[in-house]
Amino acid sequence: MAEETKKSIDPATIQMLEKAARDGCRVVFDRAESTKACPIGAEGNCCSICAMGPCRVPVPKGREETPEQKKNRTGVCGATAETIAARNFARKIAAGAAAHGDHGRKVTDMFIAAAKGEAPGYEIKDEQKLLQLALELGVTIGDRSNNEIALDVGEILRAEFGKQEGELLMLKRAPLKRQELWRKLGIAPRGIDREIVETMHRTHMGVDQDYQDLLHIGSRCALADGWGGSMIATELQDVMFGTPTPTHSQINLGVMDKDAVNVIIHGHEPALAEMLAVVSQDPEMIEYAKSKGASGINLAGMCCTANEVLMRHGLPIAGNFLQQELAIVTGALEAMIVDVQCIMQGIVDVAQCYHTKIITTDARAKIQGATHIEFIEHDAIESAKSILRAAIDNFPNRSGEVLIPDVKADLIAGFSHETINYLLGGMYRASYRPLNDNIINGRIRGVAGVVGCNNARTTHDDAHLTMVKELIKNDVLVIQTGCSAMALAKAGLMVPEAAALYAGPGLAEVCETVGIPPVLHLGACIDNSRILMAATAMVKEGGLGDDISDLPAAGAAPEWMSEKAITIGQYFVASGVFTVFGVNFPTTGSKEVSDFLFKDMEDMYGGKWAFEPDPLEAARLMIEHIDKKRKALGIDKARERVLYDMAMRRELE
Amino acid sequence: MDYVIEEKPAPGRDKVEVLGATFEPGKPEGAERGRWRQKMASREEKLRYLENGERYWYGKDWFGSEKRKTPA
Repeated sequence: MAEETKKSIDPATIQMLEKAARDGCRVVFDRAESTKACPIGAEGNCCSICAMGPCRVPVPKGREETPEQKKNRTGVCGATAETIAARNFARKIAAGAAAHGDHGRKVTDMFIAAAKGEAPGYEIKDEQKLLQLALELGVTIGDRSNNEIALDVGEILRAEFGKQEGELLMLKRAPLKRQELWRKLGIAPRGIDREIVETMHRTHMGVDQDYQDLLHIGSRCALADGWGGSMIATELQDVMFGTPTPTHSQINLGVMDKDAVNVIIHGHEPALAEMLAVVSQDPEMIEYAKSKGASGINLAGMCCTANEVLMRHGLPIAGNFLQQELAIVTGALEAMIVDVQCIMQGIVDVAQCYHTKIITTDARAKIQGATHIEFIEHDAIESAKSILRAAIDNFPNRSGEVLIPDVKADLIAGFSHETINYLLGGMYRASYRPLNDNIINGRIRGVAGVVGCNNARTTHDDAHLTMVKELIKNDVLVIQTGCSAMALAKAGLMVPEAAALYAGPGLAEVCETVGIPPVLHLGACIDNSRILMAATAMVKEGGLGDDISDLPAAGAAPEWMSEKAITIGQYFVASGVFTVFGVNFPTTGSKEVSDFLFKDMEDMYGGKWAFEPDPLEAARLMIEHIDKKRKALGIDKARERVLYDMAMRRELE
Repeated sequence: MDYVIEEKPAPGRDKVEVLGATFEPGKPEGAERGRWRQKMASREEKLRYLENGERYWYGKDWFGSEKRKTPA
């Protein structure tokens, strides 16, 4: 038990780790113990981009390096430690941007197919969001049908991926000053794919070998994700499946039902999950489940696919990234249906200890040993049904101990930036003014975006919870996405009642007045673009400066793991946000590169990186930054309120 | 939204016509509680909301802190 508590703070996770140990089943936490992280790679000091290497150029431990030694610490080709670290970093950005971009492209293709009537089951659910896009893309609205408008919107946005010149259309959403800065610095992205390709080219052997330049083009590539691929994915998903609005649901492994056919949908894209949510309610499918001896069908989500269907359907979440194998360990999971991203290959091995069927559904993400049933969007309903039938057919194969932890928590999700605007002002006076006013008057100290993954190298969920509790205790409103949001929801901080328990007096007062939790769930990791939009709305509302970098705001990913997290971090920084990462940082092997990211970038972008593995200390850094911005805005001190009489007014003139 | 005009007594006058309640009767239950976007029925209403509510991007005559600025 003591060992397990070092691995996670979540009681459901600890219970399942104990069961896995009893069942002789090896999970990610065990693999993290037996597979030590490579210390050279972790610091970004290993170059494997050509066959003369891999070359390792670690900083000598325990002694000062002479200038001569440093000069000789290069790869075979002569690449310095700085070039190697910057190249590795830029490649991570490109990989993350590619993942989000390909997600966005697939959504766009499906959106166009739906508009053409070629994807039965999918339709335009949110006309207002469609009109919103039409307005900004210059698509004629008039009396045209939604599908006609959608076709034009889809074609324009699909062209953004392959665009070769000019700049991404959605950059125009950013504050004017920020747009100007990007143009001045030459980092306004031209096209989504172009920036990814160019980053891969420049980081090839023997191309760009100036670390500052590499990090600069990494920013352009990251912006092509945040204000490009990710933003397009979020917007078109909203049009097709609905813009999230506040929704009540439950989270943690306790949402599984021992009597029902348990199905978990895991990954990142909502297309299949949306359809499974529909067909799992189909009386024919429920009857089929009953014919196999189950009480019904219990569909739950895992990882970011879960966030997508949670926000739009209130579908419960079984857990975050590090719990994917543990859902199988319950012995009650008939099928884990996966799409793309963050799916550990280890689930196949774990499934072999139990009866769970791992079903891959996307042509881009197959796993050896899993069952592949491809999801066909053009025949979505039948396709989803055949996948669900395979899960139901597995119910009679349950054997061994079934143990579902009696642990779950309530949460309210669905705080899109549009919903925050509505909640703060209502239908006829929707506005970010109340938020800005409460930041100016000091009830709210600032805003923090805490996002990102879980990482088996650090105690599961602990850093997320510790950091966020510290922030809200200090009156910082926290907005969240991804697995980080799930960690806080599991701990009960995503209900309005949490404000009175955990938030500082000012933040609690505002939360109570508006009726919101102190920690707001904004969606999946692709939805970090919603955070950019919320920040932009705050700027445009006025009173907090002219750019995102003026806001008393900060970002963090305390348990980051994936390359996508680095991309997100870089587009936050290049958008003007101070961003702190925990666990480890992939450039610490090069002082120059780290200094450039942690110091010099602030002079260029107004935002910069920081690395701090201690979540409390990281929260303090964020609060310090927020206070610095408050001071710069002149709102760091309460001002005496003076009621002017006429004589005093005359004196003013 | 269909606006309801109500007649009310007014001091010095017999009756005056005033705009009635613009909120829906009762309280939303269950999943309906959070669904604010669905309240807008017509396309005109949605476009009007965008222009006013989402004025940061879609307003024609109001541009917050950037009103004074020369466009980038």
